[in-house]
Formats: sequence, C-alpha cells, structure tokens
Amino acid sequence: MSTDNTAQSGELPTREVTVTVNGEEVTREVEPRLKLSDFLRRECGCRGVRVGCEHGVCGACTVLMDGEGVKSCLTYAVQAEGREVESVEGLSEDGLHPIQESFHEEHALQCGFCTSGFVMATKELLDEDPDPGREDIEHGLADNICRCTGYQNIYEAVERAADKMDGEGDGDKMDGKGDGDKMDGKGDGEVGEGD
Amino acid sequence: MSESGVAPEPDVEAETERDEESFTGRSVRRFEDRRILTGQAEYVHDKAPEGCLEMALVRSVHAHANIVGVDTSAAEAHPDCELVLTVEDLKDEYNPQPCGLHGFQEWSLADGKARFVGEPIAVVVAENRYLAEDVADLVDVEYETLDPVVDGMEAREDEVLVHADYGSNVADNERLTFGDPEGAFEDADHVVEGEYYWGRVSGVPLETAGAVAQYDDEEDAFYVDCNIQLHTLVDDTVFETLGYPPEKVHIDVPPDVGGSFGTKIAIHRYVNLAAMASQQLGGTPVKFVEDRIENLQGGDVHSSERQYEMRLALDDDGTFRGLDVWFVDDFGAFPHYPVNQVLKPLSVLTNAYDVDDVAYEYDLVLTNKTAQTAYRGFGVDPHHYALEMIVDEAARELGMDPTDLRRRNLIDPDQMPYKLPSHNIYDSGDYPAALQRIEEMIDENERCEGGLLDPEVVEQKRQEGKYRGTQPAVLIEPGVSGSDWTDRQRSDREALDDRPRDDVAELPEHFRVELEEDGTVRTWLATDSSGQGHQTLVSQLVADELGVLPSGVEVDYLDSVDAPTEYGSAASRMAVMLSGATVGACDGLVDGLTDLAAAHWGVEAGDVAYRDGAVERVDTGETLSLAELAELDDGTGEEAKTRATYDYPHPATLEEDFDEALRSKYPVYPTAAYGANAPIVEVEVNTGEVDILKFYTVRDCGTMLNPMIVEGQAHGGIAQGIGAALLEEFGYDQDSGQPQAITMFDYLLPSIENVPEIEMDHTVTPSPFTETGAKGVGEGGMIDAPASVASSINRALDPLDVTADRLPFTPDRVRERVRGADEE
Repeated sequence: MSTDNTAQSGELPTREVTVTVNGEEVTREVEPRLKLSDFLRRECGCRGVRVGCEHGVCGACTVLMDGEGVKSCLTYAVQAEGREVESVEGLSEDGLHPIQESFHEEHALQCGFCTSGFVMATKELLDEDPDPGREDIEHGLADNICRCTGYQNIYEAVERAADKMDGEGDGDKMDGKGDGDKMDGKGDGEVGEGD
Repeated sequence: MSESGVAPEPDVEAETERDEESFTGRSVRRFEDRRILTGQAEYVHDKAPEGCLEMALVRSVHAHANIVGVDTSAAEAHPDCELVLTVEDLKDEYNPQPCGLHGFQEWSLADGKARFVGEPIAVVVAENRYLAEDVADLVDVEYETLDPVVDGMEAREDEVLVHADYGSNVADNERLTFGDPEGAFEDADHVVEGEYYWGRVSGVPLETAGAVAQYDDEEDAFYVDCNIQLHTLVDDTVFETLGYPPEKVHIDVPPDVGGSFGTKIAIHRYVNLAAMASQQLGGTPVKFVEDRIENLQGGDVHSSERQYEMRLALDDDGTFRGLDVWFVDDFGAFPHYPVNQVLKPLSVLTNAYDVDDVAYEYDLVLTNKTAQTAYRGFGVDPHHYALEMIVDEAARELGMDPTDLRRRNLIDPDQMPYKLPSHNIYDSGDYPAALQRIEEMIDENERCEGGLLDPEVVEQKRQEGKYRGTQPAVLIEPGVSGSDWTDRQRSDREALDDRPRDDVAELPEHFRVELEEDGTVRTWLATDSSGQGHQTLVSQLVADELGVLPSGVEVDYLDSVDAPTEYGSAASRMAVMLSGATVGACDGLVDGLTDLAAAHWGVEAGDVAYRDGAVERVDTGETLSLAELAELDDGTGEEAKTRATYDYPHPATLEEDFDEALRSKYPVYPTAAYGANAPIVEVEVNTGEVDILKFYTVRDCGTMLNPMIVEGQAHGGIAQGIGAALLEEFGYDQDSGQPQAITMFDYLLPSIENVPEIEMDHTVTPSPFTETGAKGVGEGGMIDAPASVASSINRALDPLDVTADRLPFTPDRVRERVRGADEE
C-alpha cells in the first residue's frame, strides 16, 4: 500500500499521538497502523515526504527523528510519540538551506522524487561529519536510491554543501547569499504549474 | 568535422544579465529545482481533491487460472465499502482496452481467466487506501489453476496457450532481409555464432503510477490527473476504453512526474479503472496510487526479455560481410503498445559498423507474465549487447584483437550521412575518432604505471583471483523517432513496399507562445515531462529567440484535449523537436508583434524591427516593450498578434533520403548520437562479484543545448545500463510462473555504491538535419552501457574463456561459468 490516508477509521481503534514536526507540535487521533509517512503527508502538510517503495529500500521517505534518519514508511506514527521529526519542509524558512542550494547548483536532481530523502540523508551525514570524503558520502547515502542522476552530481552536491556549511554550523538558514534565492526569478516556486 | 570540448561547469543562473552570448548551449540551472527541493512540487500522488475516495485492486495470485467465480458479497457488506467492480460491471458500459496488435481483447479487469500474477480482477473503493485494502481482502476469487507458460522459447511451441482464441503464443513475427545476406554468408571466410540472453528489466521510476479521476455528470466528461507518459498520443487507450470521444476525456499530467523512462506509457489500466469508478459513483473523485509490489509484480511495466541467436560472417582479414539477427522477445500476457520495440533496432541495425547484407527476424511471444511497456532505449539496448557479443566472439575465433576488429569495420566519416541497409540514416559522426579518443584516455590514465590497468597490477590482481579488463567500443543512440512507422505491425506489411510517399503522416511537434499583460512570455508544451528539465530547456530556447531572460519565460503544459495528437517525450525526441518548435513559434510571435507596432505607429512592417524584447521604429528609434505591446493588443485587433502557435514538422520529412524508410514504415530516427565507452571492470572469480572500477566515456550528441542536462542524462543512463548488466532482473519461477522480484530487495536498483566514477568527455558534431544541430540524447547510457560492461567482462575473463553471455551477469552466473571453465 502506498497511498495517503486520513486518520478517520470508523470503528477501528485509535490512539492519540503528539509529534513535534518541523518545530510545531501536532496532536492527532490516529489508527495505530497509520504510517509516519502518511501521517506527515496528510496530517502535517509535509507532502515533500515521498513514498517510493514502502518497504524501506528506496529512502525517498527519509526524515530525521530526533536528529537520526528514519524511513518514515517503516515507522508508525504512534512510534513518533513525543519525538521531534524534521522533514525537507523544515530545513529553511525562506530561501534554501545550503544542502538544497547545492543540489540545485550541481544538478543533483532530475525527476526529484528521491530528492527530499537525499537532502535529509545528507543533512544527517553532514551533521555527523561536516567534511566527508567520497567513501563517507558513499556509505552515508547508500540507503537512498536515485534512478535519474547516476549519483555523480550528488557527490558534488554533498561536497559543495559541506563547503558552504563549513563554519556556519549546521541547520542554519542561508542568507540568500549568492543566487540561490532567485534561481527561478519568480520567487513563487510555481513555474509552469499547468492549467 | 568534430571539435573536442569539455562540457562547462554548470555556472549559469537564469537571471544572469543577458550578454552577447546565447543561453542555448550553456548550463543554465533548472527552473524545476526549487519547488522540488522545498517539497512544494505537486506530483500526482499529492493530488487530493475534496471528498476524494481511494481505490485498491484485487489481483490474481496465480499465473494462469480460470476464474470460476468472484464473490463480492462480503466486501459489499463491509460498512466502509463504497464500490466494488468486476469485469461483468465493465462489460455493461465500457470497452476492452486497445492492444498493440490486432486479434487480442483485453479488459481492464481479468475476463474469465487470469493470465499473470498480479492481474487485476476486482476494483474496491473506500474512503482511504487502508480501508480499501481491508475491503479488498473480503473479495473471494475462486480459481481453477492451469499450467503456465513462463519461458519465451517454450512459448513458441504452443503447448500452453496464453490466448486460446488467438491460437498461438507467437503474436507477431517478421523476417526482414536487406541486401543479400544469404550470399554474404556463403562467400565469407568465416561464420561465427552465439546465443545471448537479455534478462527482463525495466525503468522502475521511484514514483509509481497514479491517477485521480473525476467524472463530470453535467458535461458527461472525464477529468483525470495522472502520470501517464505520452498523454497526447496514448490517450486512445483511455477514451476508447471508456467509450467516449477524445474531447470528453481530459488527461492532464502534472509538471512534475517522478520519472518514467518510457514505462508509464502503459499505465492506462489504472487510469481507466479510476475513471470508471468515479463514473459509477456519480462523479466522486477516485484516486489510485500503485504500490511498489503492484508495480513490480503486475503493473504492466516490465520491458524487453530477449533470447538472441546471432551470426556474423567475416573474412580472414576481419572485414564483416553479413549479419544475421534472430531473437525471441517475451512480451508477457498481452501485446501492449510498445510492440514496436522489436523493430527499433533496425534504426541502428549494424551499430557503428559498415555491413550491407543483413537478415533480421523476431518472434514476439506471449507468456504468463505481466505485460511489457517501453523502457529507455526501446529495444536497442539488447540489440547492441548481442551485436557486441558476437563481435567479441569473432575476435576470439579469428585470434584478432577485439579493438582492432572493431576499428577495421567502423563506418568512415566520409560515408556520412550513412544509409543503413535497413534504410535509416546516420546524420553525422566520426566513429574512428571516438574510438581513438577513448583509447587515448585509457592509455594515458589507466594502462600506465599506477593506473587501474597497469600491466603489473593486472597480473598481481589476477593472482588474487581478480580479473581486470576493459573493451572500448562505439555505440549509436538513434534519436528523434518518427511516428508513422510505429504501427507497422498493425499494417498490411506486404502493401508497404508500394505505399506512396504522400500517405506518410508524421506527427509534428506542437508549441504555443503568448505574451501576457505584464510582458511575461507564456508558453505551452503539448507533451509531458518526467524529470528531463524541459521547462528550463524551453526557457533557454525562447529567451534566445525573443531576446529576453529565461526567467521571463513561463512554461506550461496542455492537457490531452487542448493539445493535438502528437508524439511527445519519448525516443530521444525533445531536444530536437522543441528546438524546432520554439524557433517556429517565436518567429510567428515576432511577426505579430512587428505588425502590431507598425500599425500603432502607422508605418510599414518593414519600418520596424524586433530586437531584444522590444520592437523598434527604425526611423525614430522609438521602442515598444513587450508589456507595452501586450497592452496594445488588448482586445483591439480581430486576431491576436501577441500569440502564436507552431507545428514543427518532423525533420526526417524534410530530407528526401528518408523517403524510402518513411514509405515502407521502417524505423526513422534522423539523428545518431554516439558514444565510445570503456568501463574498467574487475571480476572476483571466487565470489563472482563484478565491480566497475571506473567508467570512461566519450559522447557526441551534436550541439548540446544545455550541457549540464546532457551530462545528467548520460550519467543516469549509464547507471541504468550498469543495473541491467549486473543487477536487475524480473525473474520467474519456471514451474509456477510466480514472479521472484516483487520488492526492491529482489529487483536491485543500482545504489551509490554500485555506480563508479564516470569520466566523461564530449565531442560536438552538429546534426545537419536539425534546427540547432542537436541530436536526441535521452536514452544514451542505457543504450550503450550494458553492451560495454558485458564486452569489458569478456575482455577481463578472456584468460578463463568465460563470456557474459547472459545479462544480468550476476555472481551466481559468473561462478557457474567459471566453474564450468575450470572443469574443461
């Protein structure tokens, strides 16, 4: 099963769960079987959490739980009770986080379906090791699959992000220096939305 | 003819000040990225209209079985059940789905018989997917199992029939001869033979299929958001099934699709079922998102599985005289649209080699497996693999160096444009130079002291059981497919030889451009995208044509009703087709704008000139900006001057030399991009593991419209090619027909650990046949890497006389062959 899901469930048992999602506390009554990925996508507006396999291989749904990368498709929402969850939506309030900026600058995404997961896995990697070598990157990102880029530019992006974040501490918001905040020249991120 | 140049670093942001240089040809970073990186992109999985219900499917657990009964009573009694549909419900109101060949009837749900594991039997709709699956569990299907047919070669014997009423499992066959292959094989000094197997692989994009369908009762029309590929071409698989005219079925694909690689061309079953369910519910929107197991097991999205028998005739000096290609392609239970995958290899029949006399024959067979769809390369990838393998075999039998043998037979640049015996034409290229360049790269970097192929290191590694090697080769990527030939298999083939040229109906590329009130240039593509960066590419092209910044160009998409029927994003087409289409449409817009300005000033059109986003009055130097021009056109003229539409004719129709191929419906691909690869492989013979240490490649796709995107396409294609060569396969139990790769634990996609560093160089040989000199480039890598990896394994294992005669060349297959060689 891979779809989104509302937490209403007729007569099935439910449980209250409180999770801090990108800094905001969210309390919901959910079925124990509700996956964290569906909880985040439907209940918390985090649709950037992508669901690619639902069995823990592709890593598209990777989020950080108390700073540690987890596959939200293999985690139930109730397991996140009392925890802090960070998804791609929480990386930067405005502009782009250096990791996002670097993925853009190095063309480390194509279809983009794996990208949220890679960005979060990169965040975890760089939080632990601010200056990873090629092998560290390989090991750090081995739990995520990208079907488009052949990974070449992902190495470049991670290295570039590490350079940018050097000395800034992790998780800081970019000041929009350089041109990352103007990349599509429109500022609404909705280029080409079809009619 | 060709100039060497390395792709520049991606260093251009789209809002860069305009300078004298054009944006086309530069690595403009992508407009698509921001919304994706911030999680704001809206894929079809994200669509959730108010009140939307969700659909789950009951699927066959057997490969081959009569369906004795489907009891839906328990499901319908469930309090959360909104709808259950079986094939009987479909038959009341709808039609079977169009198939790729005549003579087959396929309903969107199994009709009396299940023909593959995972074939949908019933639809269940509930408030959400969790509940829909609860209800689906209550549908009781009674089966009477039948023996399945699982092997493509066995299927030809027709002992078990997949479609009894058709009478044979061979759904299509054709033997084509070009020149005099029989004579060539008789005259030649040597004939070498080989059998090669290409495992069942596919694109497996990270986003599965999805559809959100809504029936509009008042309009009696359907609105469907889905991630089908080629939504303006294959929409017939939906509207014909629903039994509605095309203008009543609006198929809209979001700007962001999570990859397709050809595979989503054939997801119409899901679109149909969601649309039918919505109609049966009186217009409530119904959403279906395929899960990964459904996708891998029974999603109609596997691709080529081929058994080849190759023969090559050659003389003592190594000159190729004739080629004989025979293969079986296992299409699974139904022959879906991409049946012409068996024909595309004709567009590159002899690859980069000069051979006049060729025979080509295929059997397209049906088995109890999920159906095939398209996959990047569209059947060329296995052809190149089999061809390069027989070339290696010839080198071994004649005791020649395999690189020398290849060099001796390469098409010479003086022969360009080169017409293949199968009538397609290579537009341009210097293949000997490409081979020379890749050899130099290997010599300079690796066949030297300290290199990966330092002879001392190679010898030392061999003592440890690690065999290293590389085999350079040149491989062609046919680009920019025509559309008319693609129904050859549904045509009277004998009549084709006498078909008049005027009967050829190629689809052009449709494109629209319009000036908005604020001077923004809004454009519309009539195709869908799935990660290729088309919005960026079009912005670059239009910016150059109109002398504006790419950031001032908006790129939207037309749905299947607003767009004319056209081919779309497949077959390495868009770089070429979009460059032609944007030039034509922008020319039209400029004509309109100059007319408008001339009328405003009361002068002749010749007295004004368009330049850099404004029209200038030549005598006074006054100008009108795009925004001012937009205002002038506001409802005044009888016909809008601020918009233009253009249909770019297919480039092959403009070259008489293609007429022969066009008339006879042979594959027409007017650009030939090419690459020379040299992956350096290491085979650990004790474990059977194959490691690619580094992947060298020199590539030429003519003019690179955006080098950053070109390189990204090649990187991704090479990674997929490595997967096909070493990891990926949809295996089946030969007795039960149960699929063995239904999770990503079984179907192994290359991870960052499997893809080596890719060292890429470029040459640029512009195409004489296209507007910008660009050649199609979307499928390279997948087309060429598997053959190169296999050939390099052959080279590495040459001392053991072991060859990669079956892909993927997995550790167990390596070990089996090494053991066999030890015993001899």
